[in-house]
Amino acid sequence: MAVEPLTKNTPLADFINHKTNTGMQCGNYSIDLPELKEGEQYRFHFDATACVGCHCCEVACNEQNANPDEIKWRRVGEMEMGAFPDTLQLFNSMSCNHCIEPECLKGCPTESYIKLDNGIVWHDDPSCIGCQYCTWNCPYEVPTFNPDRGIVTKCHMCVDKLEVGQTPACVQACPSNAIEIEVFHVKQWIEKDMAKEGVAPHLPNIEITKPTTRYTLPELKEGEEIRIADEHLLKPAHPELPLVFMTVLTQVSLGAFLALFLGQLLFSLGFNLPKPNLAMAILAFLPAAIGLPLSALHLGRPGMAMMAMKNWRTSWLSREAIALGAFTGLASVVAVLYFFEVGGFALLFVEAITLAIGIYGIYAQSMIYRIKARPSWNRKATTKKFFGSGYIGFLLIATALLIANGAQGVMVLLAITLLVGMLQALVILEEVMFYRHLDKEDPLYYQYNRSRILLQEYFGRVKKFRVYSLAVFALGLPLLAILFTASGLVGLAITTLIIATLGAFASELSGRYLFYRTVVPLGLAGNFFAGNQRH
Amino acid sequence: MSLIQKAKDFLGFDIKEDKYALVDDPIFGKVAKEKAPDKWVRSTCGYCGVGCGMYIGVKNGKAVYSKGDPLHSVNFGTLCPKGLSEHKMVYADSRVQAPLIRKNGELTPSTWEETFRHTSDEFKRIQAEYGKGAVAVISTGQLLTEEFYALGKFVQLGLETNNYDGNTTLCMASAVMGYKQTFGSDGPVGCYEDFEKADVIMLIGANIADNHPILKLHIAKNESVTGKKPTIIVVDPRKSKTAQMADIFVPLKPRSDLALINGLCYIIFEQGWEDEKFIRERTNGYVEFKKHILANYPPQEVAQITGIDVKELYNLAKIYSQADAVMSAWTMGVNQSSIGTDTVSAICNLALITGNVGREGASPMSITGQCNAMGTREFGFTSSIPGYRNYASEADRQAFADIVGVPVDLVPNKRGYAYPQIIDAINRGEIKALWVVATNPLVSYPDQNTLREALKKLDILVVQDAFMSDTAQIADVVFAAATWSEKEGCYTNSERRCNLAKKAVEPLGDSLSDLDIVLEFSKYFEDKHTLLFKDLKTPRDVFDEIKKVSKGRLCDYSEMSYEKIEQLGGIQWPCNEQAPEGTKRLYSPNMPCRTTDGKASLLPVEWIPLSEMACKGLPLILNTGRTVEQFHTRTKTGTIGILDALAPEAWVDLSPKDALKLKVKSGDKISLSGTRGKVDNIIVKVSQTVREGNIFVPFHFNEQLINAITIPEFDPKSFEPNYKQCAVQLHSEAVPEGIEYEEVEISGYLEGVKVYEEKVLTDEKIKSSS
Repeated sequence: MAVEPLTKNTPLADFINHKTNTGMQCGNYSIDLPELKEGEQYRFHFDATACVGCHCCEVACNEQNANPDEIKWRRVGEMEMGAFPDTLQLFNSMSCNHCIEPECLKGCPTESYIKLDNGIVWHDDPSCIGCQYCTWNCPYEVPTFNPDRGIVTKCHMCVDKLEVGQTPACVQACPSNAIEIEVFHVKQWIEKDMAKEGVAPHLPNIEITKPTTRYTLPELKEGEEIRIADEHLLKPAHPELPLVFMTVLTQVSLGAFLALFLGQLLFSLGFNLPKPNLAMAILAFLPAAIGLPLSALHLGRPGMAMMAMKNWRTSWLSREAIALGAFTGLASVVAVLYFFEVGGFALLFVEAITLAIGIYGIYAQSMIYRIKARPSWNRKATTKKFFGSGYIGFLLIATALLIANGAQGVMVLLAITLLVGMLQALVILEEVMFYRHLDKEDPLYYQYNRSRILLQEYFGRVKKFRVYSLAVFALGLPLLAILFTASGLVGLAITTLIIATLGAFASELSGRYLFYRTVVPLGLAGNFFAGNQRH
Repeated sequence: MSLIQKAKDFLGFDIKEDKYALVDDPIFGKVAKEKAPDKWVRSTCGYCGVGCGMYIGVKNGKAVYSKGDPLHSVNFGTLCPKGLSEHKMVYADSRVQAPLIRKNGELTPSTWEETFRHTSDEFKRIQAEYGKGAVAVISTGQLLTEEFYALGKFVQLGLETNNYDGNTTLCMASAVMGYKQTFGSDGPVGCYEDFEKADVIMLIGANIADNHPILKLHIAKNESVTGKKPTIIVVDPRKSKTAQMADIFVPLKPRSDLALINGLCYIIFEQGWEDEKFIRERTNGYVEFKKHILANYPPQEVAQITGIDVKELYNLAKIYSQADAVMSAWTMGVNQSSIGTDTVSAICNLALITGNVGREGASPMSITGQCNAMGTREFGFTSSIPGYRNYASEADRQAFADIVGVPVDLVPNKRGYAYPQIIDAINRGEIKALWVVATNPLVSYPDQNTLREALKKLDILVVQDAFMSDTAQIADVVFAAATWSEKEGCYTNSERRCNLAKKAVEPLGDSLSDLDIVLEFSKYFEDKHTLLFKDLKTPRDVFDEIKKVSKGRLCDYSEMSYEKIEQLGGIQWPCNEQAPEGTKRLYSPNMPCRTTDGKASLLPVEWIPLSEMACKGLPLILNTGRTVEQFHTRTKTGTIGILDALAPEAWVDLSPKDALKLKVKSGDKISLSGTRGKVDNIIVKVSQTVREGNIFVPFHFNEQLINAITIPEFDPKSFEPNYKQCAVQLHSEAVPEGIEYEEVEISGYLEGVKVYEEKVLTDEKIKSSS
């Protein structure tokens, strides 16, 4: 490599001299940090009283890591408080907080996150499958999906550089010395200092992940309104279409399987009800069999979908993948048993196990969304809704039953269908009421309220369709089908049920679409034009 | 892409690890592998006047990295976001890669030969028909000093037109004229080190956080240098990002700064806080100055003008006068005003009466806007003869003619038209050809509608630029210029530091460095090339001539060389035998001013109210300025994705009270109108950074062209436009008629002042008396 002879020293000149000259970490390309002692780690210090919002850190980070313009590991949050002339413009330059209890790590299905001994939360690129679950889990929206690579990437405190005494790009670039690397004692931080120095306006509750970034803040007047620079920008979240279909379809499968199992159980117990048949078993298996592979489409690396099962210890996503994979596999076994007309206790036993795994699978599926970083998801209603969607499975089996056996025994199933549909309607009603009476004092009000605006103003029509279609297809039409069945009009009843099934499916899909689109995550305040710079 | 590769990409088997990997670089440590340079070239940033030292990383003949030089005393390794991404603008799609001539209405790529032939023929025809002065040139602060010198020499002595000015008139001219009338010569007095050593830093009309963020580094250093926190005073009608740094924020009324400064002088005199010894030894005009101040600027009156409490004025005066070392730094808030020159002198007055000149940490200091506005001031041949020489002085003319070997008659004996006068002259039909060099008046000049009408009257508009600017798009001829990193020469920064900008890569396409353009173009003007540029082939040759021209002048380069500049990380002039390594600050005790008796002048300067005040129909005062992500008219930064995304369009800062009146909220679109023009579709940003009745709009954007509204009012001494205040109205969808003007209630101390309405017409009076 041709290196032009420069001055006596190179830019990597020794840090001590530089520090003597400037008294600061910034500017020099080398850094001098004390060796870590037992219980110590590295962290960022951000001095909001020094930052002037120049964005040097953001550009330097992208330059260092060859990231495209839209992939920002470091962003500058912008806020305003107070009234002229006592106005405070508050900036928060943030990359990763290298948390002590990182949610990204906990939720990652492929164990691609590693908390290094020096405290840095390191992302292992090769093992990442691009499921982006970490981008949901991190309450700071730190991990970023890079579509060019099909994986998630994030700030690693330039650990490669730190290890050889080189300055992280953001620290080097800041002309105000507002960003520094510090050594801290973990125990003391968690027990004492974090509550005082780890907090900054508009950031999520520190208890979620126990972040390590230390803040120096200007004096903030208690209770004063914080105005977020990007409050006027409200962008619906990613629609996650493969997941809309995958979740609804697997839930339909579970519902259908439950109906199948109940039928088998009641039949075995000797009730005068028709015995479930192969067609029904296939109907119970099919939605999940279509749905599950669909979920791979939302991965950055669909070819590695199977790796999602790796982290069953801590990740709900892994648990879901394992359980629903097993459920679908066992459901196919059940279908095969029907094909060979294996009956009796063996069948019931296999069905019971399949059902139990399926229930756990959908529970795990719902728990994926019960995360603190996304308040509108993190409600019990999510779990209820996910199970509630199963009423379509009942509709499906009832239709098959009507076609196969006529009116005999279908009333029981239709009654249960109606009941489940009603439960689902109640969950939706609860949600409507929740957003109608938001509590302004709730620390999550900002996010809830933005979800409400999305629901009511951006997706008002979808929301209306969702509510009315649920009433019609989950309640109205099944009731009508009961009427037709009771009157011996089987043909009409079948037609009504087919319409109800299709309509209910559309209703649940629209509901799920709203679920994904109207979530408003916790995170950093954004830029007036560029927003939070997350897709 | 092969099918297999496509499938692999879809399935995600390739995560492009190599593309995002880091690799060890022997100079800078770990760098992105994809663009790991094969060499680094030490250079200087080409954006603003801070003048940061940097390295340009070059890979396969292309600029791929820009990194701050940690050993450079200006920036100690840091760069602002523009500097950090500077290498990207070199390859912007909007670069002009070949000379263009308008043929059948279209700008068409052409050869240099044809372009120069066509242009020179036109210039000659016009000059023969309408006189030499019918060709005018407007240049810039963006070229290298060598290029400025060559261009100026060619325009003044080759084209023989003195209708030559730079866009520096839109930015630093008031500082130039202010320095001239106070110290006898242009030349910023202080240096950046003063930020580190001052006890009090007064930033007046200077939003360094947005415009010169690297200066924050020097302020940040202050505490470790002096051992205590400096007191930072920010004087600004807007609570800018810079104002966040303030210990004392002075939210004065728009353009009342001159009155504020004079008011502080009053209190200092009244309290006897002035530095009598300094005044006696180093200044002239004390008695008259004091008389003027005491007669006209009592605190109560100043409080009325500025909106700053009397008590606060006393506090300020006390802090300013009692500190050991005070630095006052200013930029466009002061300069861009129709009383800019006098405001500069007022700031110098205050520094002089308190003895804050020529010592460590004690100086009045202008912060320059462009990378080499200083270079054009020194040797550009616009407002003065190179080397800060006076057109009016026969001795200066003779000296210059002798050094460069031209007949003295060729050297003009007065300055030609300044920028606004050139535009006026075009409008009058007096000037027929305009050559615009590296500036973009179609965004930056005030009162755009008048300007655009004027430009239509030209016979030929030549634009020399590296980018297809808005102005280049309407040109008849475009000279394709090379830009930063593609050429060699010097930039002088705000603190008189002459930095070397080295060439790292070859000019893009057929573009030529501005020096080469001038040298080549001059060959089409008969014997002019031989007369002016016989021995000037390279930037070094020109630099050597500059050294001779500057010898003995304040901007003395005589002991500089490219090698020495590089070795020292820039040299602050004067650099001569007495100061071979340069001079940090001017007018230290052993350095007299460039006046007849070596003393600075205390000038009785006068505050004048705004000519266009908020009134019925136009109830708001518009302030214009900049944002950190963009540079000037965005020809460069607008092409850099990461910067442009953060500020892609203009906005209007609006106080919540005004927003309420207009029934708008952040994110809504609004229209802005004034006497001269209108801007539609501008996004509202409700913000407490502006006072009720005041709005702020950045000027960078051609889509929301705020200069369609600004006032064409100019400082009579510097010709600098009064960009920062004019009266406007806002029109929202809900309130299209805008805000109703509320008369300011007159109250207070002046008894006997009555508000009366004009009832009797003058005509009637005359009638009744006759």
